[in-house]
Amino acid sequence: MKREHAIALGLAACLYGGLAAQNQPGSAAVDKPAPRPDPGRPYVYTQWEHFTKADGLPNEHIFAVKVAGDQVWVGTENGLARYDKRTGAWRSWTEADGLPWRVVSGIDVHPKTGEVWIGLFGGGLARYSAGRFDHFHQLNSGLVNDVVYGVAVEHDNIWVATTAGASRYDTIGDKWSIYTEKNAPMEEIWNYGVCYNDGLVHLGVWGSGVLEFDVATGRWKDYLDPDREMEIDLYRDDGIIHVITTGVSYVEKTLWVSTYFGVCRYDGRHWRGWYAHESGLPSDFNNFVKGRSAREAWYCTDKGVGALMDFDTDTWVTYTTDGAEHAGQAVIQRGETPVATIETGYNLSHNYALAVDFDGNDVWIGTSKGLCRGVGTGYYSGLRPSSGAALVKQ
Amino acid sequence: MGLTAAEYATVRQPVYIGVRGCSECHAGGAMGHQFSKWRLSAHARAYASLANPEARAIAELSGIREEPQEAKMCLGCHATAAEAEDWERLEDFHLEDGLQCEACHGPGSEYAVREIMMNRAEAMARGLRLIDKQSCMVCHKTKGSHVAVLNSPPFDPEEAWKRIAHPVPEVKPDPAPPAAESDPAPPGPHQYTGVMACSACHQGERFGFQFSKWRETPHARAFADLASPRGYEIAGQEGVPGDPTASPQCLRCHTTGHGLAAGAFAAGFDPRDGVQCEACHGPGGDYSPEAVMLDKLAAADAGLLPVNEATCPGCHDNAHGKPFNYREAVRAIRHPSRKPALVGKPRYKTPLQPVFTPDGQELWVTCEAGDCVSIIDPVSRTRVAEITVGGQPTDVCFDPSGARAFVSNRLDDSVSVIDTATRSVLRTLAVGDEPHGVLVDREGRRLYVLNTSTDSISVFDLTTFAEVKRLAASRAPWSLDLSPDGSRIAVTHTLPQFDAPRTTSRSELAIINAGTGRIEDRILVPDANLLQGIAWHPDGEYALFTLLRTKNLVPMTRLLQGWTITNGLGVLWKDGTVDQVLLDLNQRCFPDPAGVAITPDGRYGLVTSSGSDRVAVVDLARLTGMLKDASPAERRRILPNHLGAPHEFIAKFIDVGISPRGVVCAPDGRSAFVANALDDSVSVIDLDRLEAVAKIDLGGAKELTQARWGEQLFHSANITFRRQFSCHTCHPDGHIDGITYDIEPDGIGVSPVDNRTLRGINDMAPYKWEGTNPTLKRQCGPRLAVFFTRIDPFTPEQLDALDTYICTIPRPPNRYRRLGEDLSPAQRRGKAMFERTMTNAGEVVPVERRCTNCHPPPLFTDGRRHDVGTRGPLDREGRFDAPHLNNIYDSAPYLHDGRSHSLEEIWTVFNPYDEHGVTNDMTKDQLNDLIEYLKTL
Repeated sequence: MKREHAIALGLAACLYGGLAAQNQPGSAAVDKPAPRPDPGRPYVYTQWEHFTKADGLPNEHIFAVKVAGDQVWVGTENGLARYDKRTGAWRSWTEADGLPWRVVSGIDVHPKTGEVWIGLFGGGLARYSAGRFDHFHQLNSGLVNDVVYGVAVEHDNIWVATTAGASRYDTIGDKWSIYTEKNAPMEEIWNYGVCYNDGLVHLGVWGSGVLEFDVATGRWKDYLDPDREMEIDLYRDDGIIHVITTGVSYVEKTLWVSTYFGVCRYDGRHWRGWYAHESGLPSDFNNFVKGRSAREAWYCTDKGVGALMDFDTDTWVTYTTDGAEHAGQAVIQRGETPVATIETGYNLSHNYALAVDFDGNDVWIGTSKGLCRGVGTGYYSGLRPSSGAALVKQ
Repeated sequence: MGLTAAEYATVRQPVYIGVRGCSECHAGGAMGHQFSKWRLSAHARAYASLANPEARAIAELSGIREEPQEAKMCLGCHATAAEAEDWERLEDFHLEDGLQCEACHGPGSEYAVREIMMNRAEAMARGLRLIDKQSCMVCHKTKGSHVAVLNSPPFDPEEAWKRIAHPVPEVKPDPAPPAAESDPAPPGPHQYTGVMACSACHQGERFGFQFSKWRETPHARAFADLASPRGYEIAGQEGVPGDPTASPQCLRCHTTGHGLAAGAFAAGFDPRDGVQCEACHGPGGDYSPEAVMLDKLAAADAGLLPVNEATCPGCHDNAHGKPFNYREAVRAIRHPSRKPALVGKPRYKTPLQPVFTPDGQELWVTCEAGDCVSIIDPVSRTRVAEITVGGQPTDVCFDPSGARAFVSNRLDDSVSVIDTATRSVLRTLAVGDEPHGVLVDREGRRLYVLNTSTDSISVFDLTTFAEVKRLAASRAPWSLDLSPDGSRIAVTHTLPQFDAPRTTSRSELAIINAGTGRIEDRILVPDANLLQGIAWHPDGEYALFTLLRTKNLVPMTRLLQGWTITNGLGVLWKDGTVDQVLLDLNQRCFPDPAGVAITPDGRYGLVTSSGSDRVAVVDLARLTGMLKDASPAERRRILPNHLGAPHEFIAKFIDVGISPRGVVCAPDGRSAFVANALDDSVSVIDLDRLEAVAKIDLGGAKELTQARWGEQLFHSANITFRRQFSCHTCHPDGHIDGITYDIEPDGIGVSPVDNRTLRGINDMAPYKWEGTNPTLKRQCGPRLAVFFTRIDPFTPEQLDALDTYICTIPRPPNRYRRLGEDLSPAQRRGKAMFERTMTNAGEVVPVERRCTNCHPPPLFTDGRRHDVGTRGPLDREGRFDAPHLNNIYDSAPYLHDGRSHSLEEIWTVFNPYDEHGVTNDMTKDQLNDLIEYLKTL
């Protein structure tokens, strides 16, 4: 493991100070409207840890990350890994160790039993419990398809997003249900992402937007792009930004959605969408999203990670790295306007990010070249006054 | 021509209209009195006959514990559409009408229309079935249970065919001259409701099966009798011309309420039900409501008539020259409303597990057959109380204070929570299927319940009594014990894991972290199965557990290393490693080790052998010393198979009662108590003298019935070579051990066969996967002697007893659908797949490849052999007996050699050419639906 202690540069502070000075009343820009007061600054992760095969990962193409208590479960292109935060020890499994399939594309942990449910890309579903893998696939079980993208635990049911629909496995009754275009408003059946929270299951479906399943009523609701335009977002914020959905996350009654053509948020009443050119998103090509609260969500893209840190003020922090130089930046941006750039040192393991999970104040990010943890010492949600102190390494 | 596929698809789902619907056309002389012929047949009384004591006896011989009129298996042949949902039966359909037209001819809603019936091809396309004699065999095949009770001769389809023949006359009889019908009498003050309305209450055990009793009387057949040749003959003698069923003179006494105007009858009243309840008791429109019937005066005011000597003469006084004796007649049709008295059937206890209360003052013993817990005073060694719990109680535990006890009820899928002070059941907790072991943690926070049939562990919060989680066990979790420091719970499993074909069994010990309530370790015990009893040593260094080492991969002719099944003990060390040793001696085995306990001083381990009626006393210092002195290789390879090693550590064998199971040491360490399952006693062992010094009678029946004797034989290894194993060894509790065996001396690995359950086996002849044994007696007699016993076979008397017992092994109720429950949408879709005749592409599924062809209800086997394309390179032939599908979900693995670990694999992996039914066109959700339906059978 390499630990990069990024040093916030005085240059960044000066730059930010300069920008702030330009916005002071009575400056040279007297003919411009008076700027709004600075709402404050988001937390910026400046301390990062990195994990590679040298540390114990079976593979550095990371597809899934799940934090469960003291353990971090990591799905890779060739194996499953578990990091024990208490001891710093890694344990990994490949097919030779009993993992039923090499590619781990989704992970969730049953909060009551501690069983780890593992989505296997091409291999179905597995349950890991105390050293034993149980394998469920389309030939030996009711799982609809073996190409699994995501897994989510809902009560004692396991939801599985697959390339040919979604499956729900009732672990108590040993019963499988399948959801496809036949019994759900699924215009396409290529299910990319799945999450469960607050009585609702959300499926991110490639070409079919987001589907919402109400566990209590068993009823479906679909979220599609109302303007039905695939090429442009004809009417802004009229609904989901695009139906090529890759990730969904539901937290504090707020739905966060990632697509290959932008991202969006829905609070139950209003939609809000973002493209890269108008926000802190590094790219419109989004692989995954994880919401931390109703105001904060992290988007994994092919060009870095965009963290919307404060929805109310549209304040983003964009993390990118120069892998070759082991350098990295965090750019604070309000809407399309850069506010500050902080040289964090090596932050993301790689800009191609595919997975993220939160761990108290910390954040874990899986990339196409390793896993990293942003150490969130002193993390705060939302914004704090712009004293500049936050620029200094925590 | 029938319908095209496209047209077929437009045909609605047919429903059952009932015999009364059919009779709208199929009655009267012009139709050959078909309805009346049916009414006079045994088919019409099939449901009613289930109320007879003989039916109860047959049910018991089939392992059915419910009333026959409430048992799916019985109703499958004694009623029509018993498996159908409510919506599949029209309002005028009555299950009580027994085997109706549609039982043979198919549900009629889509074809039972005059215009359609005139075109037979179209009627058949819409579901009309015209059966052949062979079809009758689905229900009329020889069934051991029926033969044993009724002593009936084999079914002769030719004779039966003649008996129930109901052709439409080619020459229609002359219509009867118009009867001199007088004007109908005006309706009385009360309407007639008809017998079917009465039957809504007056049937079942609660009302002494009154409806069924009536159905078996001549009264019920009175109308139909008029259509018989004898009816015509008598009518002729009485000067009645033509059809007696149209004669007012006959109908006056052969129906109910004849001659009254239409307004006298409620909808649903059918005069063809003959002399009905209201013929004697008066029209019931006003007194039949339950509230009125419960008040005698009110009922009388509402028209309920007293029945006395004045009631009958109107019709019976010298009718057709027959004298009438009121008293005899009343006796013949007697139908008291009280519950019939129970026949004096011996009731056994079958004690399984003794457990001391936390204060050590009482010994509680679960009694499987008695559905109770017996409480014993260990000082006086007497039974002091008994608490009735659920069906088949198996294990009991207490909370730390001893205030509450928890009893697992295996048959009822529940746990009884008992207040120990009042000895009353406080509540019943629903758990998974077939719960066995139960345990409360040291803090009294959580209750753990092992669900043997669903391979799971229910965890209850004892403050709320809510099941807070269900842990994934291995196969058939059985017993559990808490480590002395209270931190870990070790769990045994009776069934081995699913493994690749031709590999030895591996079974799991699961370790639950009592702090987190989660499984923290799973330890595989190689080459072992049937891990049952478990007990921690007081110092917490290790636990002992019982095990079998089954050598199922070689024919039973091989004697090396202990022949087929060796019996032993496992040592689970606290670091998670395991040792295995045998308890068999060279010439005297220790069959079916079941329970284990360790003396409080840690000196001895006590292990029961239910197959040899003994307890082995293991000197634990010598055992552990032997293991520690051995090399790793010896511990891994030599000692687990060493028949001489037990001499090193077995201090003594103690004879106890019949089929000892659970064992427990008294807290003072001076005695141990052993539950003798099959003589309803508890043996007391003096731990100083290492002798059985007393036997406590639990009060079971003293009479040894045929079935009980058979049960003892089933669990005894005395019949086998070296007394190595019993029937119970491979069929624990009459079910499965999950192992595929290479039995016969046809070469190593040739014709391996999966072990099948004995639950509900009685009527499932022939036996063996190759179907070569036509009867259970042959299966358990000559075959057993050749391959298993190797010494004297069972005597004929023993064989009779053994067969009787095997037939009575209870079949648990189906957990996926109780009788009368609607199917879930998925199950309903699956039923359509099971019964389908067309593929998704609209092509006809060949008859021989339809599910129902080989698996017809209600047994879901046709009792024949079929080649479904599963012949493997090790098989001698490819045709195998069609297994029944009842409770199919609880007997994995599947197919003749156990190659399929799940129901899905039968079709997704092992049916590539659609030889085992046409299934490859099914979508995944259709296959899921099919499997959901199969689980309901």
